[in-house]
Amino acid sequence: MSKPNDLVQGTLDLLLLKILALEPQNGWAISLRLRSLSGDVLQVSEGSLYPALHKLEQEGWIKAEWKQTENNRRAKFYSLTRLGRKQLESEAANWQRLSSAISHVVQLSEA
Amino acid sequence: MRLEHWWFTAPLRLKSIFRRRRVERELDEELQFHLENKIEEGITAGLTPEEARCRALRAMGGLDQRREEIRDTRRIHWLTDFVDDVRYAVRSLRRAPGLTAVVVITIALGIGMTATPFSMLDALVFRPYPVPHPGRVVTLVSTSHDKSVDNFSYREYLDISDNTKSYDGVIANAALQGVGFAAEPGATPRVRGGILVSGNYFDALGVVPQLGRGFREDEDTVPGRDAVVVLSPDCWKREFAGDPSVVGRTIRLNGMDFTVIGVAPDSFTGMYIFSRPDFYIPLAMARTFSSNPRKDLLLDRDDRELVVRARLKPGATLELASNELALLAKNFEREYPKLNRDRGAAVRTQFQMRTRDDDVNWKFGLIFTILALAVLLVACTNVAGLLLSRASTRTREIAVRLAIGAGRFRLVRLLLTESLVLALLGGLVGIGIGYAGIELLRQFTIPTELPVKIPFRMDTRVLAASFALSVLSAFFCGLVPALQSTRTDLVSGLKSADGDAPGRKRLWGRNALVVAQLSMSLMLLAVAFLMFRGFQNSLLGGIGFPKERLLMARFDPRLVQYDAAQTEHFYKLLVERVREAPGVQGATLMQNPPLGLDAFDSVAFVPDGFVMPLNREHFTSTMDIVDERYFETLQIPILRGRGFRPSDTAEAPRVTVVNERFAKHYWPGADAVGKRIRLDGAAGPPVEIVGVVQNVVYKDSVSKPEDFVYLPLAQRPAGRLVLMVRTSDEPLQMVSSLKEIVRTLDPNLPMSETRTFEDLYRYAAVDGPRVAIELVGTLGAVGLLLAIAGLYGVVAYSVSRRTREIGIRMAIGARPADVLRLVMSKGLSLVGMATVIGLALGFAVERLMNSMLFNAGGIDVLVYLIVVPAMLLVTALAAYIPARKASRIVPTLALRCE
Repeated sequence: MSKPNDLVQGTLDLLLLKILALEPQNGWAISLRLRSLSGDVLQVSEGSLYPALHKLEQEGWIKAEWKQTENNRRAKFYSLTRLGRKQLESEAANWQRLSSAISHVVQLSEA
Repeated sequence: MRLEHWWFTAPLRLKSIFRRRRVERELDEELQFHLENKIEEGITAGLTPEEARCRALRAMGGLDQRREEIRDTRRIHWLTDFVDDVRYAVRSLRRAPGLTAVVVITIALGIGMTATPFSMLDALVFRPYPVPHPGRVVTLVSTSHDKSVDNFSYREYLDISDNTKSYDGVIANAALQGVGFAAEPGATPRVRGGILVSGNYFDALGVVPQLGRGFREDEDTVPGRDAVVVLSPDCWKREFAGDPSVVGRTIRLNGMDFTVIGVAPDSFTGMYIFSRPDFYIPLAMARTFSSNPRKDLLLDRDDRELVVRARLKPGATLELASNELALLAKNFEREYPKLNRDRGAAVRTQFQMRTRDDDVNWKFGLIFTILALAVLLVACTNVAGLLLSRASTRTREIAVRLAIGAGRFRLVRLLLTESLVLALLGGLVGIGIGYAGIELLRQFTIPTELPVKIPFRMDTRVLAASFALSVLSAFFCGLVPALQSTRTDLVSGLKSADGDAPGRKRLWGRNALVVAQLSMSLMLLAVAFLMFRGFQNSLLGGIGFPKERLLMARFDPRLVQYDAAQTEHFYKLLVERVREAPGVQGATLMQNPPLGLDAFDSVAFVPDGFVMPLNREHFTSTMDIVDERYFETLQIPILRGRGFRPSDTAEAPRVTVVNERFAKHYWPGADAVGKRIRLDGAAGPPVEIVGVVQNVVYKDSVSKPEDFVYLPLAQRPAGRLVLMVRTSDEPLQMVSSLKEIVRTLDPNLPMSETRTFEDLYRYAAVDGPRVAIELVGTLGAVGLLLAIAGLYGVVAYSVSRRTREIGIRMAIGARPADVLRLVMSKGLSLVGMATVIGLALGFAVERLMNSMLFNAGGIDVLVYLIVVPAMLLVTALAAYIPARKASRIVPTLALRCE
């Protein structure tokens, strides 16, 4: 599986879960969202997006439904499941712990 | 958490498996949607449609790779691959229908041949008791120096029940016995099977009656008080047409009124392999069913007739229970030094009880199963050989696959799937063959009126075993060819047309297969022949007296409540009248006929003036009670002394007649006539041996001959007797006049087991062995057939691979005879090797069989003199046919063909 550039491994899942927690989305919209949210800081290749989504689906964290988009085309919309919400909470908490620990270390003054 | 996870994911997996197409279509649609959006985005940004499309695809980073990645996330790869492999296997097998048919039939024969004996072994050894948690039910046995498995007396049973802590209930039952049954008081009683059981029998076993109730504990405490009976489901359906109002009815057993209190459930077929009791009766009613007026089951501490079983408490181990019981046995010995001297006790599992050393049935089952497995092995090696030759014609295909990047493991898996498909097809057909075989076994009829059933059947356990064997044989046949063919050297495999560099290694494998097959079938044939000869020898000797023109019938005056005097009077009149009937040459009474289904009683004795070995108090011998016309009527030769006489009355000095083996055993080199023995221990009454008679076959034709003591009926009265009539014509013509005589004596007295003695003989000495020989013979024949096919295959294969070489040889001057010799010598050297190994195997199995069954001892040379040359002949033929074909190769054609 190709790894997203410059993305800490495993954080893609967290990002996807978070985006879907806001509202159900289709794949294309998710990719746009990823780009706009993180600016150019987080580069997620479109290629790795779908395998990641399918993996989350198979884990039972998100579920998919076919719905119409605004311009009346059929697309697969993903939304968070109960299990996924739990997963998001625990991953987010993990991320908080990890990032605060790292920033704590980084901010140590070199006295 | 785990469960919740499954709740969400299981439907997805199922969808991926069963709606595969749809899932794929949706995936395409999803990716397509993304691409289209991306392209539109590009066009809006001012790119040409072409450029936009390119950019979109590039951003995806390879559509097909993405698809594969996504498929991987579904985690059903193993399955979809397997399904693909199966599809591929079916397709490629369809392209080779001949090979497929041969392989399937070969495996089917192997599996089918195994299913039949395994069903026997299963019934005899493995099938659990038909009760809940059968594994916790153990048997408690009494042990003495001459019996490793003996029963307990009722008194001992009570003590065990009261003084052990390892069990949730200790139960006891007596042996199945004939019971005179009448559904209404007025009806003529018929003989059915009843079994005396302790009051807690059903409760402790966990068996809940389907109608009414089981026994209450107190129904087993006061002798003779509670005349209640529980019916078996079979009996309920047969005798009462499954009428639910039977509970509360009064029926008659041995002339006494009993109240039906319940019907056992359909699942409970009893605790025995062969017999299924009709009636369960509390032990406290034992006196109504006693066969021996001199003994009282409920009082005599040494009347050991009860099988004692118990259910282990949760947490109790076999070891603890054993120690506890051994301790108890020590206490018995201390308290009753006379009755329990040197008597121990042990706890045995069901498996241990069924694989007892003194039982031959399971040994037959085991031998057959092992032999059948050998046939299966032959079949498998044969199939492996065929697959191997097929694999080498596929070298090219496999090399191509390897070259374009298939993993070796993946290819081995594919090839194994192919053999799995073959093996399962074979297994399916094989189960059909096995089913037919088992039906054949079930046709066997046992000459008895007691409820005895042939327990062999095709049940889920046999099916599961067959299935497991199929899978196993798939691996066995498939692995070697799969590994070998994927080891191909890529370059040479691709270069040569049908890649054949006859590497030493590969040929070695094939040759080993053929040698294994041939030696195995040689062994099988030898064993089949040995068994045949063994049985033949045991039949040839005869049974010790002429078995023709004998009619037998059993009577039991206890069924109509005769007392001792009435019984004696009845038999006296019966014999007198029968002897006067036309066409009768002689008539005699005995307790049990030779070769009968009932076991002979045994008698404890001490030879007078004999110094007993320190560790034992008495010897035991099987015995029969017979009247004074016994030897004369059966025509058993009296070797020394005399037979019984009318003058040997109850008041006269006590006498006995023994068989030759007994006499030689205790008085080797001396005349036993005139010697005395004391019956029932050293303090018992002295009995003089007045005659020695020739040995007779008492039990069946395979058992070892045994010591035998005859006691005169007048001095040891018995109620349940067999009348044997020697007629001058066809004995069955006598039946109606015999019935008439009995009817005039007492119309209520049932006459049972009315049949010719030859029927009994056929069952005991001919039918069983014949089935056995047929089974092994079939195994051997199938094995040889398979092995011949295998040898033929190998030689034909090597000829076809060497066509070009042979062509060259002939082109430079080899004559057909030279080619013939070349090819034949190859086949024959294999046969030679196989013969040596097969002989070694045969000798080993023969020794095993001699120690288990026949008493022949030594090696039966004739068997090998017949089997070995016969095998050499057929195998030579199998090698000759392809060799001759090779010798007719036309050099020009052979050289041009590649």
